[in-house]
Amino acid sequence: MVIKVVLADDHPLTREGFKSYLENRENIKLVGEASDGESALKVIRDQLPDVALIDIRMPGIDGVTLVRQIRQEELKVACLMLTSYDAQQYVLASLRAGAKGYILKTASPEELLRAIEIVASQGVYLDKEVATAVEEPGFTPESLSPREREVLLLAGRGESSKEIASKLYISERTVQTHLASIYDKLGARNKTEALLLALKYGVVTLEELLE
Amino acid sequence: MKKHLLLILTLLILIPSVAILVVTGWGVVEHEKAMKNIAESYVLDLAQSVAMQVDRPRFMRRNLMMSRSLESFALDISLPGWVALVDESGNLLAASSRAQDVLPQLWQGGIPVGRAILVRGPFGDNYTIAAIPTSQGWYVIAAVAWSQLLGPMVRFSHLWPVAVGLLAIAGVCAAWAFWRWLIMPLLSLESEVSSLKWGKDLPKKDDPFAVKEIRRLRKVLYQLAQTAREREELTQRYVSDLVRVQEEERTKLAREIHDGPLQDVTALLQRILLLKRENWSDKAKKYIEIAEESATEAVKELRGLCDSLSPPWLDLGLSQALTELTDRLARVYGVKIHLETSELPEVDKDTILAFFRITQEAINNAVKHGHAGNVWIKLFYEGKSLMLSIEDDGCGFDFEGDTEALRVKGHRGIANMIERMHLVGGSIDITTSRGKGTTVVCTVSLPFVGEEASSDAFDV
Repeated sequence: MVIKVVLADDHPLTREGFKSYLENRENIKLVGEASDGESALKVIRDQLPDVALIDIRMPGIDGVTLVRQIRQEELKVACLMLTSYDAQQYVLASLRAGAKGYILKTASPEELLRAIEIVASQGVYLDKEVATAVEEPGFTPESLSPREREVLLLAGRGESSKEIASKLYISERTVQTHLASIYDKLGARNKTEALLLALKYGVVTLEELLE
Repeated sequence: MKKHLLLILTLLILIPSVAILVVTGWGVVEHEKAMKNIAESYVLDLAQSVAMQVDRPRFMRRNLMMSRSLESFALDISLPGWVALVDESGNLLAASSRAQDVLPQLWQGGIPVGRAILVRGPFGDNYTIAAIPTSQGWYVIAAVAWSQLLGPMVRFSHLWPVAVGLLAIAGVCAAWAFWRWLIMPLLSLESEVSSLKWGKDLPKKDDPFAVKEIRRLRKVLYQLAQTAREREELTQRYVSDLVRVQEEERTKLAREIHDGPLQDVTALLQRILLLKRENWSDKAKKYIEIAEESATEAVKELRGLCDSLSPPWLDLGLSQALTELTDRLARVYGVKIHLETSELPEVDKDTILAFFRITQEAINNAVKHGHAGNVWIKLFYEGKSLMLSIEDDGCGFDFEGDTEALRVKGHRGIANMIERMHLVGGSIDITTSRGKGTTVVCTVSLPFVGEEASSDAFDV
């Protein structure tokens, strides 16, 4: 099976670079490209690719808005953000908009191909630069308790500790304790990172987060 | 002496007034007494001289014609007053001219014999009357009206208290006017000017109670304060422009780096990565590896440069921007930053930037100067106001609100924070003291009513 891909990036040189990455692959075929948000949406609507590689910063409609638009139109396209921004908040914003993956433009061709394959098969791909907190080799995340999963999901939906506490009928202090334990188990340093790592490790799913 | 000039001047007006009142009061009383004495001795003299004439033997012989002769001696005396001769049972034997008319009215109340008394006439005027016994057992009664005897002196004694009273009233009025129109306006002007924030406040434009000179002084002061305020506003605008232009430049530069060099170096890295896939000699492979490392490093540096100039993630919204910032600073400094945000309405770009820069500065200060281990940041929306509080457990510093002094010493951070809030029309409150940590509270009222974040912002 061949994965149909559309590439949206406003910078001609990097777009050419990515095209070269995708050339001569048996399982991947570039079916369209665009240099701004509007034309990207048009190409995606026309071609209905399996995967759309989308830059966040583009003239006209920006990448995150484009992803939201694609989801609203219920197009069966897995969006993979391809960007220079390394901010975790961008990753989270993209995932919330409906993106399936986030990869930096500095990634190697192999990483890009792997990311395309993962998102095409309904997985979540996050670049190692934006979602690896613990560099120690051999680190494996411990599994979270059901309560911790609940806390993490609520936190991921943007609820404050106070709101989580009132929703789960526990004290704010207990929420903080749960969060500390979650960070510890996933090797995260903050809430966003914990959520990204949980998604990456499959502890929680994107669908659960977007509920 | 000079210090209390106003008090002394007031006393100088009041003391003579009081002194004149006292002296005049005493004078009037003494004058009254003197007039009384004169009238008494005059009346006694008159009565006695008539009594002596009545006692003469030849008078007895002619007593049938007394009436006429009494008149003649009374005329002989040719002095003011009235004289009458009465027998023991009170029948009038003889009287000087008009004495029959006047005297009976006066002795109605009875007259003691041998001494003079003061009697009030029917019109309130003063009379002195006296009765002297003669050897026949009769009485000589003499009386005089004060106005007749002492004419101008009586009028004077009536006018004098009135004149002095007017003088005293004038003195008190002068003292009152002096206080009301001069001293009080001066004092109020002084207290107003001493508490005036130069370049910010204006004194009252006019004081209708003050004298012309003080009103003029006030006007001049008002104009000076106005000029100072205008100049301050101009400086403020200038500083604001500087900050705004600086921010604009930073944003522009960051965008240009992101769209230009960063993409170019990324494209370069892509080609290097593509090159890597070909077959090369070991030497060439090594060069390519070095090129890859350099290009990767350059991308990271350019990205860092963009972030330090004006991070692109400011576009994500206030809580996202603050979350990203605090996550990054916590990682860089190794401190714990506890960020708590609640649901916020849409916040304008300028406010996001102001809060972002203030948070950045406050955390930097807390760590670098305060050596804080924890920073607590709270961001909440309440009553149409957006509040940001940043508290640390650092060592704090001595701060009495004088940002100018800090700026002069080279610590521009706090002045900048205040400037940032000023730019978005918000207020900032910094509380700190040595060993107590620092708390920065910023409040800005959002012009629109609590709408939820609109769909074109990334709702994280």
